[in-house]
Amino acid sequence: MSPRRLDAPYGQLIDRDSPVEFEFDGELIRGYRGDSVVSALLGEDRWLISRSFKYHRPRGPLSLAGHDANTLVQTPRAPNQLAEDLDAQDQEIVSGQNFLGSLRADRYALLDRLGRFLPVGFYYRAFFKPRGIWRYWEAFIRKTAGLGVANLRVKPRYSDKQYLFCDVAVVGAGPAGISAALTAAAGGAEVLLIDENPYTGGALTYHRFGLEDVTREHMLAQLRSSLAAAANIRVLSGATCNAWFSDHYLPVFQGERLLKVRANTCILATGSSEQPVVFRNNDVPGIVLCSALERLLLHHGVCPEGPAVVLAGNDDAYLTALTAIDAGLTLAAVVDMRPATDNPALAAALAERGVTCYFNATVYEAHEDASGLRLGSVDVYNIETAGQVGALTARIECQLLAMSAGLMPAYQLACHGGAKLEYVDEKAAFALTQLPEGMLLAGGVNSIHTLEAVCADGRNAGRQALRALSRPADDDEAVECALRVNHPWPIFKHPRGREFVDFDEDLQVKDIINSARLGYRDIQLVKRYSTVGMGPSQGRHSALTTARLIAQATDRTVSETGVTTARPPVKPEPLGLLAGRRFHPVRKTPLDSRHRALGAHMIPAGSWRRPAFYGKPSQRTACIAAEAQAVRTGVGIIDVSTLGGIDLRGPDAAEFLNRIYTYGFLKQPVGKTRYAVLTSEQGVVVDDGVAARLADEHFYVTATTTGVDRVYRDMLRWNAQWRLSVDIAQVTSAYSAVNVAGPRSRDVLESAGCDLDLSAEAFPYLACREACVGGIPVRIMRVGFVGELGYELHVPSLMAQSLWDRLLSAGAAFDIKPFGVETQRLLRLEKGHIIVGQDTDGMSHPGEVGLEWAISRKKPFFVGRRSVEILMAQPLKRQLVGFSLSVHAPQPKEGHLVIRSGDIVGNVTSCEVSATLNQIVGLAYVHPDDALPGCDITIRTDDAVCVQATVVALPFYDPQNERQAL
Amino acid sequence: MKMMECPLNGPRNISEFTYGGQVQVMPDPQQCSDLEWAKYVFYEDNDLGVVREWWQHTPSSYWFIAERHNGSDVILRTYDPATLFTGRVDFQDEGSPS
Amino acid sequence: MTSGLASPVGAAQVPAPMTGKTLALHDLSLALRSGVRGPGAADWLRTQSMPTDLQPNTIENISNGRLLMALSTREFWLLEPDADASAAAPPSAAVATEAWPLYNQHSHAWLVLAGGPKADMMAKLCGVDLRENAFALGQVAQTQMAHISVIVAHHLWRDTPVFSMFVDQSLADFAWTALSDAMSEFRASTD
Repeated sequence: MSPRRLDAPYGQLIDRDSPVEFEFDGELIRGYRGDSVVSALLGEDRWLISRSFKYHRPRGPLSLAGHDANTLVQTPRAPNQLAEDLDAQDQEIVSGQNFLGSLRADRYALLDRLGRFLPVGFYYRAFFKPRGIWRYWEAFIRKTAGLGVANLRVKPRYSDKQYLFCDVAVVGAGPAGISAALTAAAGGAEVLLIDENPYTGGALTYHRFGLEDVTREHMLAQLRSSLAAAANIRVLSGATCNAWFSDHYLPVFQGERLLKVRANTCILATGSSEQPVVFRNNDVPGIVLCSALERLLLHHGVCPEGPAVVLAGNDDAYLTALTAIDAGLTLAAVVDMRPATDNPALAAALAERGVTCYFNATVYEAHEDASGLRLGSVDVYNIETAGQVGALTARIECQLLAMSAGLMPAYQLACHGGAKLEYVDEKAAFALTQLPEGMLLAGGVNSIHTLEAVCADGRNAGRQALRALSRPADDDEAVECALRVNHPWPIFKHPRGREFVDFDEDLQVKDIINSARLGYRDIQLVKRYSTVGMGPSQGRHSALTTARLIAQATDRTVSETGVTTARPPVKPEPLGLLAGRRFHPVRKTPLDSRHRALGAHMIPAGSWRRPAFYGKPSQRTACIAAEAQAVRTGVGIIDVSTLGGIDLRGPDAAEFLNRIYTYGFLKQPVGKTRYAVLTSEQGVVVDDGVAARLADEHFYVTATTTGVDRVYRDMLRWNAQWRLSVDIAQVTSAYSAVNVAGPRSRDVLESAGCDLDLSAEAFPYLACREACVGGIPVRIMRVGFVGELGYELHVPSLMAQSLWDRLLSAGAAFDIKPFGVETQRLLRLEKGHIIVGQDTDGMSHPGEVGLEWAISRKKPFFVGRRSVEILMAQPLKRQLVGFSLSVHAPQPKEGHLVIRSGDIVGNVTSCEVSATLNQIVGLAYVHPDDALPGCDITIRTDDAVCVQATVVALPFYDPQNERQAL
Repeated sequence: MKMMECPLNGPRNISEFTYGGQVQVMPDPQQCSDLEWAKYVFYEDNDLGVVREWWQHTPSSYWFIAERHNGSDVILRTYDPATLFTGRVDFQDEGSPS
Repeated sequence: MTSGLASPVGAAQVPAPMTGKTLALHDLSLALRSGVRGPGAADWLRTQSMPTDLQPNTIENISNGRLLMALSTREFWLLEPDADASAAAPPSAAVATEAWPLYNQHSHAWLVLAGGPKADMMAKLCGVDLRENAFALGQVAQTQMAHISVIVAHHLWRDTPVFSMFVDQSLADFAWTALSDAMSEFRASTD
């Protein structure tokens, strides 16, 4: 049977024709489409939703707006879900969390009795001393303080991100926000109206704005129809704007999508947060905010069991009382903390309805009913002075208490933009000031509360937005609001405590006061020490009380104390939505599919994917040895497309190169290559490559795979200052490249149809040419990174596959073998060639790494020259050398330390087992006194095993450099 | 996310840009003292106020100069480097840039 | 792989028809393109009887189904979507004083996106507003898409408004995959 609900106009959000059901803690709960999990539970008169974080106290809803942690529940998908935000229709099974036994009979509830042994900072102290005590506490604390349980088997959902662009973003679709949106749109702006609720209208959908409740529904209908008719307003419902970032960049969460809104101006119409009254046991299920009771009645048509009491700090609470009476709720009393109402008609209206009103009184303590899980009665006391009570006036039996201590602006987004929340002590009123440019406030967040004024304030914000967009707008209307909504001191400390300031973190009045006593005067430090405001409510209901308590405890005003900084996010946000889709750009060479067909083991190299070697990872050593063998004795081919390439063209190309790299390039002949080393302005070796002079005014320069972007960027910046006549083009992707290396490489090229005379005389070592291989245009360089006769062929990328196929088929007769980057690293190490970035670090200057020869001192300038001169004039502190040791010794690894007389003097930068040399060979930084060939060095390898290695002259392989020059 | 006005491409998310350090005047590398050179290479002024910085719009590789207040983080203006660097720079053998 | 040229898009699939709201992605990497850059580029365009008054970041349909795209006052791309790329060596020597040819035939893959919701779809990948009122026909944006650099050009191709997108050829596969994924929610809708 479906539960009974109030008839219309109550229950606007529910569809009475669509019953839904789900299981909560093993019981079947029935509700209607449009219910949240909480409203369905309340519809069945179930008020116990959760257990509190620290003391495991029973908790029920407080705000009914998803703005507090009292309704955290577990679903099979995820823990710590706000039940007020969960649609009942989407659920099958929901359960409580953070208990031992059952939600109703949580055995950890005894922690509530032990509370005085668990003061604020308990965990920190337990960590700290006496020494070792943490071991005993850890398991227990982890179990009791954990909240829900993560389901590690859950399948990730498809979440997504999207930009949204608009002129004006309006956050909050209440009367202020809608009025602002309509005005801005009428003035021609493109408007985005964002609201976290699945409906528009905000407080108009539940709150009564005056004694006679006649204007509300009419106005709501009117605003909604205008909204529907406006062409350039897009409404985002059920969408949470969770932050404000620079230049009006707003992350908005809607369903499984994160919308990245970029607006020109931003109107905040986020309303206000109703504040709880602080008294003993103010957290017992059945104690709610006034607005929560209104939502329950008007949105969900749930009329809770009475009798009820209203605890008022302002006139608004009387309107809630009237709404409740009209809905049929039995109202036992209104307890007003003030001496009288501001509007006498309100008190009269309640008297007319036979409701007792206590003035200058408060609820000082609440009591549970026999179950211990629900409100049973409240004690009403006279207030003597602020926060001090006199005698017990009455004990009132009730199952429900609705309270309102005041309205605090929903200040979070404004504060993200650097706004300051000011508090006027005399009026207990707030003001947000110092808003960033283009941010406007409207309605409750602007401390405007009467309906007419709220709408006018919204229209004014719309006009100001239009002016900010340089569009015409009418003059602003005069807006005033004299309503006093905040009670100055709704805090009643009780000798036995349990007056909760922060429900999320189970913090009582004494916890805050003790923080001040321990010396934390600064509100930010109080927050860090006590954790107040750190829970899911993010201080929404606790910041003001905390500020007031600290102000009192430190003899200051609230405005002097201030409130803690609000930072994003406003509400808890799923990390999956922040992650969104993963964009991990991976660069592939045009030969990628060829490598995979050949069984290459692909590895990341910078942003690229490259073959490490060809074969199974389990056979790594054998694969690399076979590939190296092929290069040393036959012929190999490697894809070096990832090598950076920069074209320098123009009358000043040589002059430019001469200023960038360390060597001299002005007299470099056409058809020749030169090694090019780049130092930073600090004199550190940052890149290297080969400069090929293809024509008088045309150089083609290579750079390292990971360094080319930086080299290119730096070149452009230097020439933005020097203004030489040279075009600098990054051609890394335009040209792909392969290196054919080994004694048979010349045969392969000839057989592939290279139209050059490849003889050593016509095309010697270090020469470069433009040519064709089987009709495919290439730039060919005779360079010897791996130390054999070799040709590097650079080919326009669309033709790279053709060239590769051609070389492989021509090479078949010579047993050509593709080799990977790991094999190449071994081969170049045998030749003693350094890799910038691997064998150099952020301190390596040319003198340390044996590149003195590559420095030209004949030219007036190169980048880094002055620093190189200064550095190289000083005695060397370390030096990069080659070392070798027996293949049977433990193999040093990159990063292993070089030790001398017990001190660290350097480290290994490269080390491989060379089958060709039958030795372990490597490069390492050593003390300059140990740098001569024949010196012994000590290397500390894994497990602190020290090995002796011998410094060896470079290169290890082919010391006369005969093979590459064949 | 912050926006910046690229003189070539218009207003863009700051994530489209690469920072290139403050605009500095290089002392004569052959005449200045080691200390002057070290200051040029390693020191950045950290005074509160408007700073002149190199920025590159990464997708178009376009370098420009931005004037930014390092207190408020407001970008006051951006312009092509040709505004500051008006002519060809040469280094003579005696080392003085002309 | 006729003519010895291979597109960098390895995952090429049959493009969907260009009708209604459906989005279609085409790989034009093997279509002809060239370009010129340098202080003398505009002068050279004049000698070729091509428009020289293009503002930076605009594109214009010129004669014979060709398009001229200006990336700055000194860099111009000539696009010929319906002509095949040549297998000849890309020219490198200056074509005029301070005007050098570009290697854009080989450096960039050319993808073409067509269909009604293309700007909405691109909003999932790109932080620049590409809707008609902010990015009209004839406009070009050098920006980022799915964390990679891209040049987006809004122009007519075969009488249909399309986005031509140029991405580094080594990232063509990545871009194709990212676009296809972002397109999936639009693929089913037709009207």
